[in-house]
Amino acid sequence: MRTLLYRLLAAGAVLLALGATAAQAQNYDPNAVINMATNADPTFNPWYPGVGIESDLINSVIFEGLTRWDGNALPSPALATKWSVSPDGLTWTFDLRPNVKWQDGKPFTADDVAYTFNDIVLNNKLGANLANIYTPVDHVEVVNPLEVKFILKSPFSSLPSYLAYYEGILPKHIFQGVANPFKLPSFNKAHPIGTGPFMVQSYVSGAYVRLVRNPDYWGGTPKLAGMVFKIVPEPDAQVAQVLSGGLDLIRVDNPALLSRLQNAPGLSLDQQSENVYFFVILHQTDPRFQDVRVRQALLYAIDRNAIIKSVLKGYGEVATGPIAPVQKAYYDPTVKQYPYDPAEAKKLLAEAGWTPGPDGTLQKDGKPFEITIDEGQFGQLVPIALLVQQYWQDIGVKVKMNIMDWNSYLTKTYVKRDYQATVCWWRTPTTPDVSPYYLSSAAASGNNWPGYKDPHLDQLLETELAATSQEAKVAATKAVEQYVAQQLPYLYLYYPKTVVVRKSNLKGLLAINLPAAFQHTVDWYVSK
Amino acid sequence: MLPRILRRLGQGLFVLLLVTVFTFVLVHLAPGGPSSVMRLGSTAAERAALRHQLGLDKPLPVQYLIWIGGVLHGNFGASLTGGEPVGPLIAQRLWNTVKLGVSVFAMILVFGTLFGVLAALRRNSWLDFLVNLASTLGMSIPDFWLGIMSILLFAVELHWFPASSTIDTSSTGVFQLVPYLVLPVGVLTFAVIPNIVRYARAAMLEAMSADYVRTARSKGLRQSTIVLKHAFKNALISVVSMLGLLLPVLLSGAVITESVFGWPGIGRLAVEAAMNRNYPVIMGVTVVAGAIVILTNIVVDTLYILIDPRIAHG
Repeated sequence: MRTLLYRLLAAGAVLLALGATAAQAQNYDPNAVINMATNADPTFNPWYPGVGIESDLINSVIFEGLTRWDGNALPSPALATKWSVSPDGLTWTFDLRPNVKWQDGKPFTADDVAYTFNDIVLNNKLGANLANIYTPVDHVEVVNPLEVKFILKSPFSSLPSYLAYYEGILPKHIFQGVANPFKLPSFNKAHPIGTGPFMVQSYVSGAYVRLVRNPDYWGGTPKLAGMVFKIVPEPDAQVAQVLSGGLDLIRVDNPALLSRLQNAPGLSLDQQSENVYFFVILHQTDPRFQDVRVRQALLYAIDRNAIIKSVLKGYGEVATGPIAPVQKAYYDPTVKQYPYDPAEAKKLLAEAGWTPGPDGTLQKDGKPFEITIDEGQFGQLVPIALLVQQYWQDIGVKVKMNIMDWNSYLTKTYVKRDYQATVCWWRTPTTPDVSPYYLSSAAASGNNWPGYKDPHLDQLLETELAATSQEAKVAATKAVEQYVAQQLPYLYLYYPKTVVVRKSNLKGLLAINLPAAFQHTVDWYVSK
Repeated sequence: MLPRILRRLGQGLFVLLLVTVFTFVLVHLAPGGPSSVMRLGSTAAERAALRHQLGLDKPLPVQYLIWIGGVLHGNFGASLTGGEPVGPLIAQRLWNTVKLGVSVFAMILVFGTLFGVLAALRRNSWLDFLVNLASTLGMSIPDFWLGIMSILLFAVELHWFPASSTIDTSSTGVFQLVPYLVLPVGVLTFAVIPNIVRYARAAMLEAMSADYVRTARSKGLRQSTIVLKHAFKNALISVVSMLGLLLPVLLSGAVITESVFGWPGIGRLAVEAAMNRNYPVIMGVTVVAGAIVILTNIVVDTLYILIDPRIAHG
């Protein structure tokens, strides 16, 4: 009798639990369509030359890579289920997810992966976006329909992380017979086919992109019925729309815009960070900047906390190197620090031979210390550069400013490398590999913008690339961080915090940052 | 009449050709390069590959000949961001600007002439003062500022109208379109209407003090007949000529207003193309805008003749 009672009670509990799950499952609106914003017309192909913030998040909803980020910014399974590296570090093997379908119903196979890399990314004639990341990759080999091998020219320990960075796989069957995959506007500008949880229903240039749920998604039915990206170029207009209810989610990069949003009813503000660091670079072809004491002095002279407080309204933290704190596994806070110290700056400059002349300007061998800062009009770069100018003038350096529009700026300082000093930033994949930005071989024509050449650093970077275990990778990365903090190829300014503003009833987003959250849109929902 | 129009059309084509040559040289001389090539994080090898693919490594005169050759065959080339054909892109955006422009034109024609004429007839009255004040404000307030302020007031605070007009105007019905049009049309009208008001007022004042009006008065005609039949008709000539001249003002005003309100027109397209050094789009917009201005001038000249046959013999 007693057992029967228990059984009944147990059965009741199970029923209750089931009921609760069912209720929870029904707790969201299955017909919800959310509105978001992008700043310009997107291109639906992650490899299209020049695609950037206007397309990245949309593309990561439509397309999927072999890996994607988890809540700790580490690579986790997406189109690949598991991967491993050979002991010599030269072959990576990826097992692909079975039963995945393209949004047009065709099956996804290893041929698609091989096509994406061999024919697009590694095809030098195409100049695919981010292709330079894959320089160490020789080719991709199809082992069987559900297995591929990446055959490398040199070790590439961060490959699985890079594969999560806007590296969507493209459908081979669509591009079959197309001479140049970038000259297919019917795909790139109208009807892309991916494997992701949402697919493009319609796109009107200058107006919007409308996506609907992919009912055959391998990861289950998306909880949202669809999403709309409105094309709203002005950040102020985006803020106005989120306040008037026209948008459900925006990213705010300019902290000055946040004051109106902070106390708005029905909105939640999430502070997030990505692997982004702002820096001042000193062109290393200039002999004055080749002296490490000069670089250190010019960093000691800048009050970075004051910049963060004034220009960023507190939304940032002092940068210590190229690995941002968001990479918890690799970030090393014990590196050499440069707190604001004008006295120390003057002392180091004096050691380097720069002493005040009669008018107070530092000079060496009768030549005054003059620096021209080139700056482009984008975000908060100009106000920050003006503050840097002020701080350097305070220690006796003459500083001229040369401000220009963004496009001209990039051409002059980045493409032609015609500058002395400039303030800019790198937004890099969440990987501990920083070699594209620091290797000597990338100095003249690659992403080593300051043109810093140091055989010892090259060696440290190669050790990191060759690591085949996690422990070895962490140790090698920290060695790089310690060394660059000492040598300062870049003068690190700050890690910005991005603020994501969303309607409070939009839930299920990975908290770490938007790039990761957009790879898991299948879990997003609007609560009832 | 017809030979005259044909001659004007021929001249217009020549001017348009010159405009394309100048624009082509200027955009290529401007510092910077296409954003798809000159972007942060690209390597020299990637940039070289792209320049070759896009034909940007050819000598400038060759690039121009290829472009103009395409245009003569109705092909305006492909956008450098995304590769879509420029012609259909401009057509789609132009249609949106036409919707905005026609609404603004109707507003300034009706209200601009009305207020101008009324102000002239009630010279130095409170109405004249108000019209003057409003048109001074319209002339001096920057339209981007007015745009942002009107969004803050009418969209964010009062929720009367949507904050942004990023909509597909082709699939939106006329009546659904109205709320989206109110703010951009209002702001653009406010910015452009002073030109017409002041002109209409001055023209009307001039006409009212002309000899023929005095004669009409002395004949004992009624005031309404004098105003409508004699003064207004003559003043209208100046207003019509002004409308033609206003088209470029309207187009450039659309550049600002469309960007602020996100109206998907040709003005916003032009701004984005200029910022991204998207050469084929810049060229396409230039040809279209140039053709519109030249055609309007021809139409206005022809209208002149219809309104005042004396000009044809002048």
